[in-house]
Amino acid sequence: MQSNTSKRHGLSSDESRRLCDKILGMARADHTRVNVNSGISGFTRTAINRITTAGETNNVNVQITSVFGKRVASVNTNRLDDASLERAVRDAESLARIAPENPEYLPELGEQKYREVDGYYASTGDLTTEARARAAALGIKAAESAKFIASGFIDVSAGSEAVATSNRLFAYSSGTGVASTLTIRTPDGLSSGWAGDEGSDWNTIESDRIAADALRKCREWRGKTALDPGKYEVVLEPAAAGMLMLRMLGTFDARQADEGRSFFSKRGGGNRVGEKLFDERVTIISDPAEKNAETSHFTGAGMPVQREAWVEKGVLKSLAYSRFWAMKQGVAAKPGPSNFIMSGGDASVEDLIKSVKRGVLITRFWYIRPLNPRIISFTGLTRDGTFLIENGKVARPVTNFRFNQSLTELLANVEMLGRPVRVSADESSSTGTPVIVPPIKVKDFELASVSDAI
Amino acid sequence: MNNKLDRREFVKLAGTAPFTAAAAFQQQATAPGPDASERDLVLLALDAVRSAGATYADVRIQRGNTETVATRERQITNVSRNETYGIGIRALVGGSWGFAATRDLARDAVAATAKQAAAIAAGNDKVNPVKTALAPVRRVPDGRWITPHEIDPFTIPIEQKAELLFKTNEEALRVKGVRFVTSGINSVRDSRLLGTTEGSMIQQTFLRMSPNVNVTAVSGDNSDFQTRSAAMPPRGAGWEYIISLQLNENVLRWAEEAAAKLTAAPAQPGQWDLVLHPSHLWLTIHESIGHPTELDRAMGYEANFAGTSFLSPPERVLNKFKYGPPMMNIIGNRTEPGGCSTCGWDDEGVPAQSWSIVDKGIFVNYQTTREMASWISNLTKIRESLGTSYGQNWGSIPFPRMPNVSLQPNPQDLSEEDVIAATKRGIYIEGDGSFSIDQQRYNFQFGGQVFWEINNGKRTRMLRDVAYQARTPNFWNSLALLGGKSTYKLGAALNDGKGQPQQSNAVSHGCPIALFRNVNIINTA
Repeated sequence: MQSNTSKRHGLSSDESRRLCDKILGMARADHTRVNVNSGISGFTRTAINRITTAGETNNVNVQITSVFGKRVASVNTNRLDDASLERAVRDAESLARIAPENPEYLPELGEQKYREVDGYYASTGDLTTEARARAAALGIKAAESAKFIASGFIDVSAGSEAVATSNRLFAYSSGTGVASTLTIRTPDGLSSGWAGDEGSDWNTIESDRIAADALRKCREWRGKTALDPGKYEVVLEPAAAGMLMLRMLGTFDARQADEGRSFFSKRGGGNRVGEKLFDERVTIISDPAEKNAETSHFTGAGMPVQREAWVEKGVLKSLAYSRFWAMKQGVAAKPGPSNFIMSGGDASVEDLIKSVKRGVLITRFWYIRPLNPRIISFTGLTRDGTFLIENGKVARPVTNFRFNQSLTELLANVEMLGRPVRVSADESSSTGTPVIVPPIKVKDFELASVSDAI
Repeated sequence: MNNKLDRREFVKLAGTAPFTAAAAFQQQATAPGPDASERDLVLLALDAVRSAGATYADVRIQRGNTETVATRERQITNVSRNETYGIGIRALVGGSWGFAATRDLARDAVAATAKQAAAIAAGNDKVNPVKTALAPVRRVPDGRWITPHEIDPFTIPIEQKAELLFKTNEEALRVKGVRFVTSGINSVRDSRLLGTTEGSMIQQTFLRMSPNVNVTAVSGDNSDFQTRSAAMPPRGAGWEYIISLQLNENVLRWAEEAAAKLTAAPAQPGQWDLVLHPSHLWLTIHESIGHPTELDRAMGYEANFAGTSFLSPPERVLNKFKYGPPMMNIIGNRTEPGGCSTCGWDDEGVPAQSWSIVDKGIFVNYQTTREMASWISNLTKIRESLGTSYGQNWGSIPFPRMPNVSLQPNPQDLSEEDVIAATKRGIYIEGDGSFSIDQQRYNFQFGGQVFWEINNGKRTRMLRDVAYQARTPNFWNSLALLGGKSTYKLGAALNDGKGQPQQSNAVSHGCPIALFRNVNIINTA
């Protein structure tokens, strides 16, 4: 447990329950569900060696879902006075009465058993504007020491969520998240380096190391030269690996597969659960209780979220089933992954580099977009530190590339995995779905064309 | 109170550079004015933030309403309404910005939030003191504007919206091979009251419509599937826009195209001429012209996320860089009819206007806000902001966001057939698909929805798995022919992402059909 005696941001469990009970007491529908999200988001942003903006927003959002028979509608509001709540309930019910039937609707859940998770860290929740500014200033000072230019972002969220139904379900969870990222560029615009951390616990964010790493990357990437596009052995640093693997998160869906709309669809019908699709070193799980990567232990509908293996030793072990699809297929419902945890080994990035005869080291990516859903392929660009590796050593900085790469092929082509770490995997560097991945060495990674961007 | 500026007066205020267009000032006597209690809260917040040491502040009370009706095949998947309401206060203390926002509109909470904004600014200024200069702006004591529209979409019953979507789905499902179809209509109303310490008080109401239809065809043995998303861009408009789309009639073509993609010929990689329909080209304009001409990017303010720009430093590129051939004219425009970024004033109270960004192929101006105008005023001779400040809602700090950025049509009104006829061997692309561009806006790669081969001036067979990859300056300098105004259409996005924390911007891009020579095609299969 990470809690301490200080006041947490967001509604408490009791406050959430009282709010839910009040709304359920106003309800006249056959079924009603209430979802409450509350808390603060704070940020400090730097650019051109100054703090450009900083701020804090607090909000409480209530979603009311009303059901008559199989007619369902919902209303969101952040106005919490009694009159506004009453109006929102009546509005949701009016909409539900006139909404066409949803034949896939299943009645709201009753009480559930949860393995409760506390992902709230006071170190993050209590972080002050001044503390954020001091951390941001470390990046600025590092850049100024080399006459370089820093741009960074510290994003903090702290709050709670709750769900309640007219069938007596109630669940509550609170959590925190923090991401700190830094880009350092040379004044001539010819080099750029990046580093970042993300976690639930501010105490795991290493601001000094982030400043040092971004500065080192920027220094080392100076003087980059051309390298021909092509298929290369590639070492993906953890952030790069995480940005790609985050895109796998939504693919583990049984209905998409069973309906013929997924890489996991089986020719002739059904899905490929049980087939060995990837390298045997690939194991992917999700676990809402994972330390420093905690998530809520329930879904928006109140279903329990538990530890789940999606890929084990290269074999597709399971796919997510909505309640409707599970009923139709005669299996248990299973929510999709709430975080992404990929196993690895003990090797460092340097160890991976040492094992490469000729390849490319990639720091992170940018503008990753889907190309072909049949093979889960994506395009995107390398950024902020791309290097040629020769004979186990970083030989020289090289220009950026656009990649066109199937992630299923990537997972089949894994050659070596390093030590997994929590990474900042969201391109915008906001706190997001927790991703824990190792650095990955992979063969035949397609660097399709050169980018002039720095 | 009449605060209307006439054109001559505004031009005088805005400077005299040849590429500065006058503001199309949008004061509307019939637009709703501020709610008295909201106005009082804005004034209270302004007093509190000033008392706390702010030398400048702006305050927004914003109410965002959205309604979503979504379906798949013969069933409803979502009926929902969303309301978010609160106050956001941006304060300048010393040279530093602070921002605080709350949903709690009790007077003491508003005053406390105003003080918090000033305290955050003061805290930053203590750790890292800087200077900030704001460009002058004319005070607007009672500004009012509303999106021009005929039918308020929130007055159309849910049943009517659902019925339209179900009929659309049914038409699509009649086509052999089509197994899935999703459709939806999102209606947006965004009311915002802006007050500034300089005396402006502006109430604006934005209406936006965003329909969607997506058809999926699956091969008989489940070994392949293809999708076709309809080209129905979001629009600053009312329900009349949905009526004009004739969904029931047009969906048949989209469904047939989804099924035809299953057996279409694979793209042959190599150099091809491209004929780009406006439903596709808008996104290329957005990524390769809209974003690199944001001055904050060019100056490094987005370096940690969205990136910088190849159009930098300003003194090296302004009035010098050859973006494309002389036929290429690009305007920044917050007055475009139907544009998603169209407004009366921006979020700093700067009047909506239009201006040249690329004039006869030469890059002549960026997009600016009040903080940014002085950075290049020695080059542009414009002291005032071009009016591109925007915060996505009450909880988001306003910052530079893209206006409508549009490619002007050929003065000669060439038709689509004329442009195709000028193409010997090419690919015609309709609709936007996969899109990706690097962080300085050089290397891009774009897919589409449907592709046809052009042979000897005629559109022939359908192709699949097409994407083109190019470098921005090379691409635009390969522009060979523009369609006329009869081919000019708006494309748009409601969710253009930028900033940290990331914010969404609604923006449109108009363009005619256009021909580009010798562009690199890849096969994405």
